[in-house]
Amino acid sequence: MISESFDWDDINEEVLVDKAFELLRKRGFQLGMDEYLAGLTLIAERDTLPFVQDLDGLKQSLKLLWCSSQSEQEQFEPIWDKAVAAAESAAQVVIEVDESAPAPLPDIDMPLPERNTPEQVRSETVAEKASSPAVDATAQPVRAPFTPAEIDRPSDLQSYWPVSRRSMSYSWRYLRRTVAEGPADVVDVGATVQQTAQQGFYFQPVMQQSRFNRAQLLLFIDQNGSMMPLHQFTREIVETAQYESNLPEGQVTVCYFQNVPADYVYQDAFLKEPMKLKTVLEACDADTSVLIVSDGGAGRGYRRLDRIRETTNFLRKLRQVTQRFAWLNPVPVGRWQGSSAEMLAKLVLMFQMDDDGLSNAIDVVRGLQVQRG
Amino acid sequence: MRFFTGNPDNRPQRPEERHPDAYAQREPYLASQELVTAVNLAIFLKRPLLLEGEAGCGKTCLAAAIAYELGYPLYRWNIRSKTRYQEGLYEYDALLRLHDVNLVQKLDGSVVEGDRALDPTDVDKYVEFNALGKSFLQKDYPAVVLIDEIDKADLDFPNDLLTVLEKPYQFMVREKRETITAEHPPIVIITSNKEKGNLPAPFLRRCVYHFVEFPSKPEQLQKIAAAHFQFHEADQEIANQEATGQETPFATAPPMELVETAIERFLAVREQKGLTKLPGTSEFLDWLRALSHFGDEPYSADALKAHTGPLPYRELLFKLRGDWRNAGFTATS
Repeated sequence: MISESFDWDDINEEVLVDKAFELLRKRGFQLGMDEYLAGLTLIAERDTLPFVQDLDGLKQSLKLLWCSSQSEQEQFEPIWDKAVAAAESAAQVVIEVDESAPAPLPDIDMPLPERNTPEQVRSETVAEKASSPAVDATAQPVRAPFTPAEIDRPSDLQSYWPVSRRSMSYSWRYLRRTVAEGPADVVDVGATVQQTAQQGFYFQPVMQQSRFNRAQLLLFIDQNGSMMPLHQFTREIVETAQYESNLPEGQVTVCYFQNVPADYVYQDAFLKEPMKLKTVLEACDADTSVLIVSDGGAGRGYRRLDRIRETTNFLRKLRQVTQRFAWLNPVPVGRWQGSSAEMLAKLVLMFQMDDDGLSNAIDVVRGLQVQRG
Repeated sequence: MRFFTGNPDNRPQRPEERHPDAYAQREPYLASQELVTAVNLAIFLKRPLLLEGEAGCGKTCLAAAIAYELGYPLYRWNIRSKTRYQEGLYEYDALLRLHDVNLVQKLDGSVVEGDRALDPTDVDKYVEFNALGKSFLQKDYPAVVLIDEIDKADLDFPNDLLTVLEKPYQFMVREKRETITAEHPPIVIITSNKEKGNLPAPFLRRCVYHFVEFPSKPEQLQKIAAAHFQFHEADQEIANQEATGQETPFATAPPMELVETAIERFLAVREQKGLTKLPGTSEFLDWLRALSHFGDEPYSADALKAHTGPLPYRELLFKLRGDWRNAGFTATS
């Protein structure tokens, strides 16, 4: 390992912390200014800290501080070695240039995180670093950076994972329409105390009605075919909507279909128990939220007119019942181009299924954004 | 600032160097070097320490070991699915106060109910501080707060908690119109099983993170067993002095040979494929205790080594029907 071949004194530790922090951020670690300053504090106070006496101690401490899962801890080692090498060469450069000058202050101007681009190959010297071209922010397309969810189980690595289960359950929370209903049977303690204080004596408790979430959710899930590799996703969408959202049982309906919701859709994921689409839509009212989860042909990248026509037909029927519907596409937006999904995205609000897309879609189905067309 | 060493003998000897309510139960705990560093980092940077790991690997016991060694009090907060962060700070009993107001009016001046003096004008009587709240009130020493199984809580819970566990370490008691600021920010130990997925990123960012590994080397398990036996022998003496001891069926150490064989069999169980829930350190210690003290005689090491069929006291090792069935009958070393 590189770190063993250097003495603690050979390296400017502040440059080392700086470099390691920068590299980790580039790798997508969620670190803020506080964490950076905490790292510098460790160095500043290292005389009083028994656990930061040598380079290994510093490494271990920063690892504990900056990594927040096992997989991040595993990524830390190679990055650290890189940072040590960089700090070492930086120290040499400083000595060569001017021995009498004081060591330069560490560069605290963090470059923007470049998560979406592959890491650039660059030799780790100070001179090179200074001449790297500045990122022209205006030329960049505005899009949320791709942040893959944390993966702990190696089996998860085999699939593409843009949205975590946690953010799904979190997003469902926003799907609510609370209504106070039924007899007033809940004691309002605050109001009771208030009333007693105003009247000067206790008369009777103030009661209020219970509040219920009356939002209705209808999910249309595309199964089989090109959706096959995404079944884990759709399963999680359904599970979180049914069990981890605030919606009571009976207010979430799930229908499955293959490619296009035709006259019949299915109640089960194996497409065995058909029911009439008409029946499903009749049960809806104008406040029902409808989400369609399908790749819209973008999975295989084909464009077929009959599929578009049938889907348009379905959307027309849906629009007669409710305006609160949106389309979630598990295939990233870059791959819609040229497929039926591109056409369908003009007819319905279609979102890529990542954290932002999911919460935007939920905003639409709860009526915050108005449907076009 | 006191640092944790992992050795309970480093507890401040003189009572005046300890908190009056310092945790008094000696907790044998074998902390790895990395874990000790993690604890000290958390103490130094005043950040929460987040512990993850398999169930039964000693996440929860660590807080007690820290509190004992440093001579600080320990406040434990067990998280349930409906826990709100406010509950960890304080609770205000509005109903009791209302009741008292009425009672005082009806009783015409007499202000004692049972052995409780009624004084609804004194808001302090109706505010009760809980684990985290108490830890903010410490004057001379910090307290250790254990927030156990944070992943059981509501999705928003960790984020709510952050607002309190950050500088300036204060919270407001609205009913008293009083802001409480911690003189000594508490040492916060948080455990999680990841039962319900990951914690939110802003929360993780603030924590010092350590993953508690199962001690899979036989020497480590031996040390852990030895630490527990030693402790319980020592505990008998301490019990006489401080009267804190409790009845323990663990007083005498089992024969060394039995410990070694048990470790061997236990590790073989863990290496078996197809177990859903692997038994952890706490299961191991329970099992060892049963082997050595449940019967009239300690279980014979030779018999355990040569044992075929289901392991003795497998009730302590396998907690799922599938595991019980599969592993109970096939475990061989």
